[in-house]
Amino acid sequence: MSYTIDSKAVSQEPRPGQCLRTFIRDAGVFGVKKGCDQGDCGACTVWLDGVPVHSCLMPAHRAKDKQVTTVQGLEHDGHLHPVQQAFCDAQAFQCGFCAAGMIMTVAALDEEQRADLPRNLKGNLCRCTGYRAIEDAVHGIRSTDDDIAGAACGASLPNPFTQGIVTGHARYTMDVAVENLLHLKVLRSPHAHARIVSIDQSKARAIPGVVEVFTWEDVPRKLFSSATHEDHLVDPDDMYVLDNVARFVGQRVAAVVAETEAAAEAGCRALQVEYEILPAVFDPVEAMQDGAPILHSKGNEAKGNIFVTIKGEVGNVESGFAEAAVVHEKTYSTSRVQHAHLETHGSIAWRGEDGRLHVRTSTQAPFIAHQKLCYLFGIFPHDLHVFTERVGGGFGGKQEMVSEDLCLMATMKLGRPVKWEFTREEQFIGATTRHQMTTKVKLGAKADGTLTALEVHVVSNTGAYGGHGSETLAASLGSPLSAYRCKNKKADGHAVYTNMIPGGGFRGYGASQSTFAIECAMDDLAEKLGMDGFAIRRKNMIGPDDVIESVWSDPSDVSFGSYGLDECLDLVEAALANGEGLPAPEGNWAEGTGIALSVLESGPPTEHRSGGEMRLLPDGSYHLAVGSTEMGNGSINSHRQIAASILGTRGNNVDIINADTDLTPYDTGTFASTGTVVAGQAVALTAKALHDNIVSYAARITDTPVEDWSLVDDAVMNGNRRIELTELYKIGTEAGHRFDAKRKAYLSPRTIAFNVQGVRLAVHRVTGEVRVLHSVHAADIGRPINPMQCRGQLEGAVAMGYGWALTEHMVYDDHGKMLNPALRNYHIPAFADTPRTKIMFADTHDTIGPLGAKAQGECAINAVAPAVSNALANATGVRFAHLPFSPDRIFDQLSVTA
Amino acid sequence: MYSVNYHRANSVDDAAKMAEAGDAKFLSGGMTLIPAMKTRLAAPSDLIDLTHISELKGITISGRTVTIGAGTIHYDVATHTDLKALCPALCHLASHIGDPAVRHRGTIGGSVANNDPAADYPSALLAMGATIITNQREIAAEDFFTGLFETALEEGEIVTAVTFEVPEKSGYAKFPNPASRYAMTGVFVAKGKDGVRVAVTGAGDNGVFRSEPLETALATSFDAKALEGLSVPSDNLMGDLHASPEYRANLIVVMAKRAVLAANG
Repeated sequence: MSYTIDSKAVSQEPRPGQCLRTFIRDAGVFGVKKGCDQGDCGACTVWLDGVPVHSCLMPAHRAKDKQVTTVQGLEHDGHLHPVQQAFCDAQAFQCGFCAAGMIMTVAALDEEQRADLPRNLKGNLCRCTGYRAIEDAVHGIRSTDDDIAGAACGASLPNPFTQGIVTGHARYTMDVAVENLLHLKVLRSPHAHARIVSIDQSKARAIPGVVEVFTWEDVPRKLFSSATHEDHLVDPDDMYVLDNVARFVGQRVAAVVAETEAAAEAGCRALQVEYEILPAVFDPVEAMQDGAPILHSKGNEAKGNIFVTIKGEVGNVESGFAEAAVVHEKTYSTSRVQHAHLETHGSIAWRGEDGRLHVRTSTQAPFIAHQKLCYLFGIFPHDLHVFTERVGGGFGGKQEMVSEDLCLMATMKLGRPVKWEFTREEQFIGATTRHQMTTKVKLGAKADGTLTALEVHVVSNTGAYGGHGSETLAASLGSPLSAYRCKNKKADGHAVYTNMIPGGGFRGYGASQSTFAIECAMDDLAEKLGMDGFAIRRKNMIGPDDVIESVWSDPSDVSFGSYGLDECLDLVEAALANGEGLPAPEGNWAEGTGIALSVLESGPPTEHRSGGEMRLLPDGSYHLAVGSTEMGNGSINSHRQIAASILGTRGNNVDIINADTDLTPYDTGTFASTGTVVAGQAVALTAKALHDNIVSYAARITDTPVEDWSLVDDAVMNGNRRIELTELYKIGTEAGHRFDAKRKAYLSPRTIAFNVQGVRLAVHRVTGEVRVLHSVHAADIGRPINPMQCRGQLEGAVAMGYGWALTEHMVYDDHGKMLNPALRNYHIPAFADTPRTKIMFADTHDTIGPLGAKAQGECAINAVAPAVSNALANATGVRFAHLPFSPDRIFDQLSVTA
Repeated sequence: MYSVNYHRANSVDDAAKMAEAGDAKFLSGGMTLIPAMKTRLAAPSDLIDLTHISELKGITISGRTVTIGAGTIHYDVATHTDLKALCPALCHLASHIGDPAVRHRGTIGGSVANNDPAADYPSALLAMGATIITNQREIAAEDFFTGLFETALEEGEIVTAVTFEVPEKSGYAKFPNPASRYAMTGVFVAKGKDGVRVAVTGAGDNGVFRSEPLETALATSFDAKALEGLSVPSDNLMGDLHASPEYRANLIVVMAKRAVLAANG
């Protein structure tokens, strides 16, 4: 009787109740991932005697005397399994966290099953790709280009992590064996608003294995914000590591550290907390009323629950509406959704042999986390090291420090390594979400469609804490309004505290919410004017000679580095008219078409900076260090392509390390579309400096003009004269020369990116089911550094947009408790839900971003939900103004209208 | 998951004996029980694994009588050639349960014994007038499914097989829950020697049930047209975050039409 994993006998026996997933990982086989631990996501898929199973749903004892095969056991004689190779060729992953399970499922499909992927890939979720690249892999399509010296930029080079991802050896945050490890778990508040009267720890401490309990009395009494920005003043310092007031269901109440996860969980359950229940408020409009329960008394009392109000006006909207022939006014609202990156939040902290503290974490901003941790716990910056290895998705969710602080505090107190990994439920109730916003739009236009006034009023529910509250609100009042030329614009908005889970950064960042409202309103106005969606936009959308202006007339650093909005609109119009896509199904279906546009500045209005360091190595290759996080966005690949392109070499000749406060220069963080335009710019400047260093040294030692020299792959050339880099390195270093460079990049001016989404869909008049028949998307992202990756980023963003439009919704009861905190009930798009989207690029070359590129991965999501709503309106004559458009809601509204 | 004692049973008798001690639960595919244990909606002290009992597995067909061992996985029901020829509706139903990994582990016995109000199989068994066989007795489907997650099973009683006579015509259609893909409303129609029976899953607030208005309409003419303009009451239907009772009432008729269309091939 024995256990066998990947043909190797395992000596240990499972613990009673242990599932196969953790048994496999305890054996050091980290290729098997945890995405949900409930059988919903498929990241843990392994084969049991050749048959795919969810290893999280399998008691480990059931694997006795059977062959367990994981993604790490698929290789044969040192060769990749054909499906692993196919995933390489199609680059069928972004963060790669789902790939281990996806590959195991795909590799077990027979021909008949491959013909029905929507049904047979149902059990494997991917949050990044939009599934197109996965479908390509199944069908053996190759998307990668060859790595040719000097041609790295613009080539679809494979991600440097490819081999590790498809073989299961890439190390994500939790994929490391740590000796003497302690486990941390958190008790979360069952109440939306309550004061903690007492916490009796005695029963918890009596549980075998429990080592320590932390409550609000044990933490530094320092206020901070878990949100990460370069300028920490944009987020309110309104939270403690642990507080004696719970302000939302799911807030941390106490932490238990134990020898095992099970003991830590048992310890949490054994804590006896006495709460004094306080009145709670969930709706931001109610929260602004006199007499509403006040959440924070931290110097902001005069404003009640309004954390911030932002307003502005250019021109005079009153006179603008007076001259309008048609006025449209309506309120639109967006739902609260979660990032649902497949790798949940988590950190491991320890004190190293060097005496310093180390935090291995899943973050988009290790340097800001580093600063916050130093501040909170009084650590000298040099004594703390924060880093990521591979991060399994972010989407803005990891622009937040929500696990590092407790782990670090515990390890400082206990002297042992401490790990904390969020469960999927915690991800839903204890992390952050997209801000729920309600937007009233009022538009006035002349009879010919020319806008005369544009007015927007936004109420944003920032939840119990205000991190990202002001910046998302500002974003909602910014670029979506600057998308249109109009003399008179006015906007105001409030971000309001309520006893809901806090809002946070989320792809599209505030602009998504108001883009939904404004783009729907624009179609509603067009309807009143008898115009179509293209015509009204062409009439009013911002052009390259216009001032980029929302509702503030002060000078702005946003500039047209390039302009391709008109081309995007043309591309979408042509694609929708080309007859591709599916025909409407037979039966009681209504068909409709809709479009929407979105505009986003490449980078935040707050400060943002990044640095790069490069060295020539003795073997003639290069080392690049950049602080930016790679979380599936592909920045690590595009960065080495930028460097390789400038240095005239191959992508593979540049070794790169990122997101490490010890090993890389400072970077504010990978968020707000800065991966290319700030970190990429830092890489470009660094590579150029190293290029100049190398050729000028060659010129110096040969006493020839520097401009005669160029870098080609692994040598410097001057006419027919060639010096191998290995030789140059040897000569130079022996003479005391250093072939290295360091540069920094700051974000200003900010260029601007454009997206247009087109949708043709059918809606069933009786069931409310929606089927997307044709989905097309055009993006002006400047020059694509890696076209395949850019396409993938856009496909992923569009897929996430369909999730927001059609399936995703965090639902709460009257007491603020989430009713669907599991992927089984909160539905991110599966393969079957995700239409293939034709991605097209405007042919532009940006003059601001590095090598002609600009932001790519974020803005695409913003145009999707309004395009779907516009298509539904076109199909049914009914405006669906509130997300999401689930079949029951469509049914309800259609039956009322009928 | 929390600590639990695991026992591997080699026969039904063996399993029944093991169940006498402690707070034990029988574990078949585990596709529902294990997630329930992880969230502590279920917390047995002992698990008795039934999946190694060979007598519980397999499909036998004698004339038009089909007997499916309780331990038969959905994948085997979905792909059984002879069953497909005789009763394609049931194979179709099985092929749309969960995902491939679930179909490779989940069993008909587990589904029936658990009686999830959104499970697919109970509607088929009720519509076809199946008999559920246990280690102690035989129970008509009508009497077996008694409520939400409730069955006529006694403590320690184990479902060993289900048996039914294949109706002349049968069909199944479900509207999947947008999130879980369980049946938000599923309708199984069967036209057999006892007339037309229509069973609805995923919609009732007390689990699977037969729809009299639909049966009456289809008894006159077993044709989707017979359901035109028909509506069913929303009383006693489930309302939850995914669908209201009214919406489910609407879906029942639509799914019934689709099921009849499928049955008439």
